[in-house]
Amino acid sequence: MAIDPYLIGRFVGAVIVLVGAFYDLTGSIGMLRFPNFFTRLHAATVGAIGGSVLPMLGVSIYAASEPALGEYRWFMAGASAVAALIILIVAPAGTHVLARAAYRSGTAPKEPCTYDAGKEGGEC
Amino acid sequence: MASRYLIAVSIALVVVSLSFAVAYGALGASVPLEGLRSLARAYVTLAYAPWNRTLTVMSPEAVTSIVWDFRGVDTFFETAVLFGAIIGTVTLFRGIKPSARIGEGLSAIARSAAAVTAPMILAVAAAIALHGHLTPGGGFQGGATAAVVALVILVTFSLGYLVSGLSKERALMLRSAGLLGIAAVALIPPILGGIVFQNQAKELSQFSYPAYIGGALTSGSLLFYNLFESLAVAAGLTLTIMLLLSPHEVVEEAVRGEDHERI
Repeated sequence: MAIDPYLIGRFVGAVIVLVGAFYDLTGSIGMLRFPNFFTRLHAATVGAIGGSVLPMLGVSIYAASEPALGEYRWFMAGASAVAALIILIVAPAGTHVLARAAYRSGTAPKEPCTYDAGKEGGEC
Repeated sequence: MASRYLIAVSIALVVVSLSFAVAYGALGASVPLEGLRSLARAYVTLAYAPWNRTLTVMSPEAVTSIVWDFRGVDTFFETAVLFGAIIGTVTLFRGIKPSARIGEGLSAIARSAAAVTAPMILAVAAAIALHGHLTPGGGFQGGATAAVVALVILVTFSLGYLVSGLSKERALMLRSAGLLGIAAVALIPPILGGIVFQNQAKELSQFSYPAYIGGALTSGSLLFYNLFESLAVAAGLTLTIMLLLSPHEVVEEAVRGEDHERI
């Protein structure tokens, strides 16, 4: 029996979306459980990259391998891929700017702290 | 602690149930075609009606049709009010030159991300403005999006960097060019024997902007209005941002100078 390549594409896309949902769940648990601003920022970025770039790529693959959508599936696939690319560029830059501003102004408490890369020798 | 989880779970439940409701059409059809009042029915049915060439706007976007054709004079007045506000700002800030000193800006990572995304934002702005007669959006929305580029450059690079590329005088010139363009598009029909703000041919006057250019639907004057409006709004908002974010010392110096004259 020959396997439909479209079916494989849809399966891969759906699996990637599910993996993205897992990242979103871990990101939200981290948001609630992590102790300070910097670690919670890390959880938010897990949610942004794993939880929206990845599912959007999955949607792109899924849409491209769904012939029932007709010609418009290429619009959906292309738009999802481009949106994923833009978030991939913008989200880390935004996190970087937030973390840098919070660190340099000293407005966010650093405790509990085990390693401080901004200080000589990493001492807290 | 428990209340935190309650909040998280309830937000997730709201999002999931809302998306199910929208996906299964619980909010009804997106365009209500039943029970419309006669004016609304006319707007919805005449926006794109090639079979009724003397009443249609030839634009599938009903909102832009209303904004620039059915109620074009109203929009022109709104635009004039906005420009009055911008002229007021420029007058209040007269004698203040935005400093041309180029600062350091944010970190290299932030600057590279801004340099990559700024052209993308401009492309989106152009798409919103120039597709305003086909899809939701239009000149004002496109222009406001383009002004975001100026704001991003101002924050990540510095005010001096923005001013070195787009001086106050040049922004004023662009803004005036946009407003003049809108006035020209509105006044060309009466010069050629039509009505002010006319788009497509009417029973009383045969003047008509081309509904198609090179086979692409341009909806007559709507494309030009959106183009000039986006230019004017982008330049006007950029100018306002530039003036309002001038450094304190520069503003203070200009104000102090006036004080001395009075004494």
